[in-house]
Amino acid sequence: MKTIKIFIFLLAVTIGAAKAQFTKAEVQVSGLTCSMCSNATEKSLRKLDFISDIKADLNRNLFTITFKKDAAVNLDQISQKVKAAGFSVSTLKATFDFNNIKVSNDYHFNYNGNIYHFLNVGDKTLNGPVAVTVLDKNFVSAATYKKYAAQTEMGCYKSGLMGSSRVYHLTI
Amino acid sequence: MKYFLVLLLAGILPAVNSFAQELYVNTEPASNMAAHSLGIRVENQGYFKPDFRSRSTLEMMYGASKNLMVHGSLYTSDLYTNNYHFEGGSVYAKYRFLSIDSVQRHFRGAAFVKAAVINNPLVNQEISLEGDNSGIQTGVVFTQLLHKLALSGSMSYIKSVNNTANNIPTGFAHDAIAGSVSAGYLLLPKNYTSYKQVNVNLYVELLGKANPGYGQSYVDAAPAIQFIFNSNTRLDFSYRTPLMDNMQRNTKNMYLVRLEYNLFNLF
Repeated sequence: MKTIKIFIFLLAVTIGAAKAQFTKAEVQVSGLTCSMCSNATEKSLRKLDFISDIKADLNRNLFTITFKKDAAVNLDQISQKVKAAGFSVSTLKATFDFNNIKVSNDYHFNYNGNIYHFLNVGDKTLNGPVAVTVLDKNFVSAATYKKYAAQTEMGCYKSGLMGSSRVYHLTI
Repeated sequence: MKYFLVLLLAGILPAVNSFAQELYVNTEPASNMAAHSLGIRVENQGYFKPDFRSRSTLEMMYGASKNLMVHGSLYTSDLYTNNYHFEGGSVYAKYRFLSIDSVQRHFRGAAFVKAAVINNPLVNQEISLEGDNSGIQTGVVFTQLLHKLALSGSMSYIKSVNNTANNIPTGFAHDAIAGSVSAGYLLLPKNYTSYKQVNVNLYVELLGKANPGYGQSYVDAAPAIQFIFNSNTRLDFSYRTPLMDNMQRNTKNMYLVRLEYNLFNLF
């Protein structure tokens, strides 16, 4: 019976999020010192096939990335492309188009084969575009990651895995 | 000249409204170029006294991965002969082993190795793998971006071997220690609005070498100005002059002009 309940819960969550998707992301990159570095970073990011456009704020080292409609967005690949250019992501705020979803602390949802886990949120219903901040390693500065990792008991925060699925930790 | 340098340094250190730069002209920073990117450099270095002589270099740079970059250089000059001739080449690899990044500061460390095969006669006391000597060089470089100031320091060891057409004469040093300190800052633009804006960067670098046991050493000051066009093309000008000099060499009072073009993320 418990298995069925879990199955129904997962099914409900998956259906609830089925139409929903990431539409854009604001990525702050650290280590950039000149427009040549920003240019190299933008060119590196543009190789990702789910990105439709990038606008760079060169003063703030901030890249606003628009995703292609209905494309499968992979946040890890964004972080990897920034690293390949020689820099690192210091914050990533992604806008997710929610479809009337009730969230609470530790709420999980599934998108494109990955699990997204809410931390530090109160009970609320999310409908429409909401900016969520990714708290995982390689999406925050090394010092911030260390701080969060020391505060949490959750093994999945440190490993980034839940079973064999990638789990991202988000907050609003 | 010394006054000029002091003024330049005094201008750089308290520069409060600008950003630091680490695309050093006479040295390499600990940071690498972007992975899968290719840089092409055409360079001319020379002096006017007692007569005008110069060296032209073609250098290709490639970002092999996020931590490893490689360079290959070919040298040609009339520094040792009356006509321009092909002198040989060098290869260089730099591995970044340390990166501590936050938004407006970072600290990076890298180790490098260089090897050169050169055919020139050996008449100078300086051991230089930039077209003069065959040999091998290895060292470390650390670069700190401190909000407004980018400081970099390097230390390396150079071992010379016989040049392909000429042996090292008796009484010449076979080993050298090299060191550098570099500082740079972004003069323009004050505010970025697009990739098309021309960047102007100013640098002061101190370049030193010593041949241990031979009492031969020098420290040069090398101020430089750099223009970056279109966020992919670099034009560098530098002039080095001795602060302290006790070594027979070509590099004393040498100018440098360099054009660099970058192809980012080729594949």
